[in-house]
Amino acid sequence: MNRIKAVFENTFKEALRQRILALLALFALLLIIVSVFLEPFALGEAPKIMRDFGLAAASLFGVLTTVIIGSTLIHRDIEKRTIYTVLSKPIRRGEIVFGKFLGLGGLVALLVLAMLLIHQVVLFIYEGNFAPHLLIAFPFTIIEVSVILGILLLFSSFSSSTLTSIMGVIFFIVGHAMPDLKLFAESTKVEALKYIAYAFYYLLPNLENFNLRSELAYNLPLLADQIVFSVCYGLIYTMFLIYITTLVFERREFK
Amino acid sequence: MQSAIELKNIKRSFKNHFWQRKREVLKGISLEIRTGEVFGFIGPNGAGKTTTIKIITGLIEPDSGSVSIFGMNPHSLKAKQRIGFLPESPYFYEHLTGYEFLNIHARLGNLCNHKEKTVTLLERVGLKDSLNVQLRFYSRGMLQRIGIAQAMIGSPELLILDEPLTGLDPIGRKEIKDLILAEKDKGTTIFFSSHILPDAEAVCDRIGIVIEGQIREIGDLSALLKKGLSADKISLEDWFVEQVQRETEDVRTDE
Repeated sequence: MNRIKAVFENTFKEALRQRILALLALFALLLIIVSVFLEPFALGEAPKIMRDFGLAAASLFGVLTTVIIGSTLIHRDIEKRTIYTVLSKPIRRGEIVFGKFLGLGGLVALLVLAMLLIHQVVLFIYEGNFAPHLLIAFPFTIIEVSVILGILLLFSSFSSSTLTSIMGVIFFIVGHAMPDLKLFAESTKVEALKYIAYAFYYLLPNLENFNLRSELAYNLPLLADQIVFSVCYGLIYTMFLIYITTLVFERREFK
Repeated sequence: MQSAIELKNIKRSFKNHFWQRKREVLKGISLEIRTGEVFGFIGPNGAGKTTTIKIITGLIEPDSGSVSIFGMNPHSLKAKQRIGFLPESPYFYEHLTGYEFLNIHARLGNLCNHKEKTVTLLERVGLKDSLNVQLRFYSRGMLQRIGIAQAMIGSPELLILDEPLTGLDPIGRKEIKDLILAEKDKGTTIFFSSHILPDAEAVCDRIGIVIEGQIREIGDLSALLKKGLSADKISLEDWFVEQVQRETEDVRTDE
């Protein structure tokens, strides 16, 4: 446990001190603040658009931070050979993977929470009251980030950081297009395409399961069974990815 | 007496691309490093020194042959608890301070009182004044000293140092050599790889000469010097150049 904590702290501090993080945070802050100026285009829906926009900005910030820093998380250690000294210590490779996952995941969680709190302040200034129910989006954003981080760790354990970041973006886009993929599978007349579409639908992560922005922004009811399913789905998918990453990383040679 | 390192007929081949033929880098390396000795693993660039060290530290696997560290599998946590490793031209987590970096390695090594041990060791390697400075601001010599420190933390019984003096100025080399000699005086077993021969001559009890993936000579330094030298050649460097020239001529004759 101490070893995982050491890797966690190392990853957290290294990521926190990267300059790119400040730029991303600034970008997200600007997005949240800029939502105030959308009023003239909102056709009376300004408060709802501000809520949706703020939640989307915090989520995008979390995903971008995860992709940019996560894609180099293991690969940079290998490329710069910092992994050699770590592996020479009495630590299991799985502990390194899990510690890195917790380190970056923990940092992103803190930053997304900070963004959501800033969003609340912006809402308070604009509307005169907070909208605490919007914070329900926080755990779901973090589960989505965990799934993406799991994918990034898996790819970075055997491929380059460029390929890893490309795969992270592809999985993010495809993961949010899952409902469309299901519609396509249901409607296509070509049997082979139907099976392929269903295979992708069930194999790839469905990130739309974690998107509650519309429900929260427009005060729509949240279904308990859907929430339980989404949480379990995200956690199981993430654990599976970490397990596979550990298996790959344990067999990896450092030539 | 148990050996610190034992290699038996280690072979290893690599190919850079899948369409290329495998190139045999190690052609049956057998070595026994006794506890308490300083062993110099000497050879020209590309001779297979780093590959051998990576096999000893478990970073890569041999195609055939066996490796043991104090009679144990090099992957076992118990074996790793007893070794310290400095890789060739190491890069470290540049956003961590000297203290943070060393402390994380102390914790990876499961050390109790890790805070005190970190500060004591930083003092010993002459970096106490820079303990709160991030590693990206360290000079090459300071990085090499913190590298040695991470290998030495926890006072391991076996130190494996891959080219520890490469790229250092004369003052830096002297400082690192002094650290190695101090460890030698404490009775630590040291496996020292280098192609800088006068440095090896200054610190080693025994040397092994590796050329083109094979051990060509092995033995006590004084005996080797006596064995192969003519009257006007008195240094290890002269003797080594003679060996490499002879080997190269043999290869040409075979061809």
